[in-house]
Amino acid sequence: MSHYLAKRTARVLFTVYLVATFTFGMIRLLPGGPLTTLRVKLARQGMDPDQINAYIENYQNIRPDATLLEQYQSYMLSVAGGDLGRSISLDEPVTNILAEAVPWTVFVVVVSTVLMFAFAVLFGAMMAYWEGSRFDQALTGVSILSASVPFYVLALLLVYFLGYQYQVLPTGGTTGLAVEKELSVPFVMSALEHAILPVASFTITGMGVQALAMRGNSIQVLGEDYVRVARLRGLADRRIATRYVGRNAILPMYTGFLLLLGFNLGGTIILERIFSYPGLGFYMFKALKARDYPLMMGTFLVITVALVVGAYVADLTYSKVDPRISSGGSNEAY
Amino acid sequence: MKPTETDSQVGGVDWSSSNAAATDLSRLDRYRDLYQERVYKPAVVAWSDWRTRFGLLIVGFYVVVALIAALGLYPSPETNQAPRYLLPLENMDYVLGTTATGTDLLALLVHATPEMMLMITSGAIWATGVAVVLGTVAGFKGGTTDRVLMAIADFVMAIPGLPLIMILAIAFTPENPLVLGVLITLNYWAGLGRSIRSQVLTIREQNYVEASRTMGTPTHRIIRKDIIPNLMPYVTVNFVTAARYVIFASVGLYFLGVLPIGAENWGITMYLAYSTAGALYTIEAAHWLIAPMLAILFLSLGLILLGQGMDRVFNPRVRTRLAGESESTAGSEAEDSNASTEIL
Amino acid sequence: MTASHSSTATSAVDASDTILELRNASVTYDDGESYVLDDVSIDIERNEIIGIVGESGSGKSMLASALLDAIPDPGLLSGEVSYYPEGGERVDVLDLDGASLKELRWEEVSMVFQGAMSSFNPTMKVRGHFEETLDAHDADRTAGMARARELLEDLYLDPQRVLDSYPHELSGGMQQRALIALSLVLEPDVLVMDEPTAALDLLMQRSILVLLEKLQEKYDLTMVFITHDLPLVASLADRLAVMYAFELVEVGPTEEILGHASHPYTRALLNATPNLDAPLEEMEAIEGSSPAPVNVPEGCSFRPRCPLADESCRVDAPEHSTVVDDHSVACHHWEDSAGEIPLNYAPDGGTSADVDADGGTPDGMDADGSRGGGER
Repeated sequence: MSHYLAKRTARVLFTVYLVATFTFGMIRLLPGGPLTTLRVKLARQGMDPDQINAYIENYQNIRPDATLLEQYQSYMLSVAGGDLGRSISLDEPVTNILAEAVPWTVFVVVVSTVLMFAFAVLFGAMMAYWEGSRFDQALTGVSILSASVPFYVLALLLVYFLGYQYQVLPTGGTTGLAVEKELSVPFVMSALEHAILPVASFTITGMGVQALAMRGNSIQVLGEDYVRVARLRGLADRRIATRYVGRNAILPMYTGFLLLLGFNLGGTIILERIFSYPGLGFYMFKALKARDYPLMMGTFLVITVALVVGAYVADLTYSKVDPRISSGGSNEAY
Repeated sequence: MKPTETDSQVGGVDWSSSNAAATDLSRLDRYRDLYQERVYKPAVVAWSDWRTRFGLLIVGFYVVVALIAALGLYPSPETNQAPRYLLPLENMDYVLGTTATGTDLLALLVHATPEMMLMITSGAIWATGVAVVLGTVAGFKGGTTDRVLMAIADFVMAIPGLPLIMILAIAFTPENPLVLGVLITLNYWAGLGRSIRSQVLTIREQNYVEASRTMGTPTHRIIRKDIIPNLMPYVTVNFVTAARYVIFASVGLYFLGVLPIGAENWGITMYLAYSTAGALYTIEAAHWLIAPMLAILFLSLGLILLGQGMDRVFNPRVRTRLAGESESTAGSEAEDSNASTEIL
Repeated sequence: MTASHSSTATSAVDASDTILELRNASVTYDDGESYVLDDVSIDIERNEIIGIVGESGSGKSMLASALLDAIPDPGLLSGEVSYYPEGGERVDVLDLDGASLKELRWEEVSMVFQGAMSSFNPTMKVRGHFEETLDAHDADRTAGMARARELLEDLYLDPQRVLDSYPHELSGGMQQRALIALSLVLEPDVLVMDEPTAALDLLMQRSILVLLEKLQEKYDLTMVFITHDLPLVASLADRLAVMYAFELVEVGPTEEILGHASHPYTRALLNATPNLDAPLEEMEAIEGSSPAPVNVPEGCSFRPRCPLADESCRVDAPEHSTVVDDHSVACHHWEDSAGEIPLNYAPDGGTSADVDADGGTPDGMDADGSRGGGER
């Protein structure tokens, strides 16, 4: 087990290392990047080349006069030290911006993904149990419908109706402007109020696919011999529903949870733009618009790390909840 | 042992009575059976399911619209081709209304369709194609090949899709819809490839594949004859899912305005309505935002229905249970053999 | 062993002490369109081992499920199923309410399904299966688990190890034995086994058979052993019932059936049996295949494959006729079958070329001696 743990941990570090290298490559090699623009702009302002180089180095962790290898080394070292450079558009250290943003994004993504799965498991199991009934048909229809709505379409509709037209919920921000940023009841209430629409957009649109998956899994498990044997053994319906059907139907979805987490993390770029919710995605969007490469790559790196860590946790816990996955071969957890 | 008995038995008794029409199969019958089992019955089951029917109709409708646009049978969207801010149904020449620049909204939607269909197709083909090839090779070859390929897949899966696409889109500003489709599904194959690999591993362990290998059947033949046909159901369903992902992602990217605004796309229409006309705040521009949303919604609905319907055809258990309840004679007939083997 | 067995069988038959009774049991699907069990009647005697033999798809699993009123949906069971507890009143199984049916199942009549692997919940330890079964029937856990351990030991398993394992951590043979132990944990009187050895290798099949025999003696069990493997069950069973196309075509004591099989299908089945001593070319496969539930032929269902078939077989479905006391057969021409279809092993028992010779019954039990008497 510890051997596996070590191997799996090494893989996480290696993945992060590779992604950091990738961001370096993007910043350094992207054609027509902000460096050029900035350099031209500064030169026009009459700054001398040395100053320009120093300035740029500050933004990028990259010294233009060094060799590629030296640039790479110093970039990686500063990333490892938590220095992601300075945002060009916001003129602030990227790390500071992200430190503000990360908790909000994690909050929205985790809450919405967990809610999505909780509802999907519940509804999917109910659909399977009453398979073929009116209830099943209706809910299957609703699930299909919800699956065909992109989350941003729902987000736009929600913000249009509930935000602007009826003004029942806020249309932007993480908390009300008047609320002090400290752990207090008004702060928490305001944070929840502001998160309702973003979370609902993800949860409602993602639920359909997952509920249908749960329904399919449950139907399959309901047809398994061991469920039939369990009935003959006289087990209570509730025990069969939870320990037999529920557990064996949910397990295959566990891996989907991971993929979904990643998908939702990426999706925050669109979601947080619509709700003006200053999380990771919001700043990534800003960076994309302003061609602010340091901020862009910093956000990208952080999103990736969040995803990799999520995968790591899912992987390790999966081998705990599914006895068939021995700790060694849990590659299948994906 | 009494050899005489045996002899008389061999000579005297005709066990294969020819009047057993139901049980006696000629070669032709067998082919007919194969056609019945593999082509006709699945098709009937598929068509008997309203999901597949509606899915096909919807997707077919979009294909027709794409053709209409490509052949120039519907006027192109132009600025000032009509009064500005017409509401839907206000002027029957412009059924869906017009934009702030007096452009026919329907024309915008229609002329965005061909590119969307191309993008969907190329993206879905790329995603499933790479997944099938790598998954099959990894699962079948095993060993180092498997480990390397799966390590790559793990890495690719660890990169969040949408942000990566955006960065690449900003860097390379792709305009060709085929390239865009591939770009959007650039790392989509990894998850699919992994699950295909584990399916291949399962199929590989099956007795008949094991037998083929023992008999020295060439690998490519085994892959073609035994592995691919068994993967087809799964691949087909995932093809549809990938297609839906391409729609969602591409429209999302256009809506954010990170993709070049040269082409026609429903996302661009939404982007313009949202960011230039403030469609969220004003009733007059709402239809400008909602019309492209509906276009996206119906296309993905069609694809999902198609996927659901096909899942039914390919999944024998779902299929059996489905036909047990359905009234359609064709469906239940196809199921009888299934049902009985499963029960007995 | 031989002696004890034949005596058990005889006493059971003499006293006619029926424990389970099936009368005109039919199972239909598709609103009565297709039969997967067609008007089957059979008495199962207390403490006997009865083997039910048929090829796959002949309805034998349905017969097993019918005994517990456990036909999978949407199948419909009609007819009568009666259970006679020792010294008690007749119980109409199909008339039981939920709670009583739950008591009947596993406490009185228990079942082992084919494929032990799929009978266990893959995400629960074997111990959990025992405990939840005891709990569900309000049985005492401590006593029950002690019994479980004893049963596992009886089946040559290490109770500690097996109970603490997940199903997938056990080999096929171990799972099968653990499943048998699970089915006996509530001390039922009847054990119905559906192909309990089909997925196992020959060696394991044999040893499980030996263990079953021991269990039968130790716990005074009535066993219904359902299989496609005639020689296998012949070495164990007191009586045999042969199924073809959802009907019982021949029922009788094992020695009777092996020596004087009267139904053409039974005789063909015996000839189709691999026999270590007989050359392979003497093996006779049965041509054609058994009918599917939707197109069972009119008249006698075996007619299309039967060398004795004539017009009467096409028109009338044969009723069961008595060959000797407790040996009955459903065939118009049973008197001619012996002459028409000779058995490819020596029925007069003089040689070692017996049907059960390949069975090589491990403990030396052999139906051989009782099969003498030659062709009638």
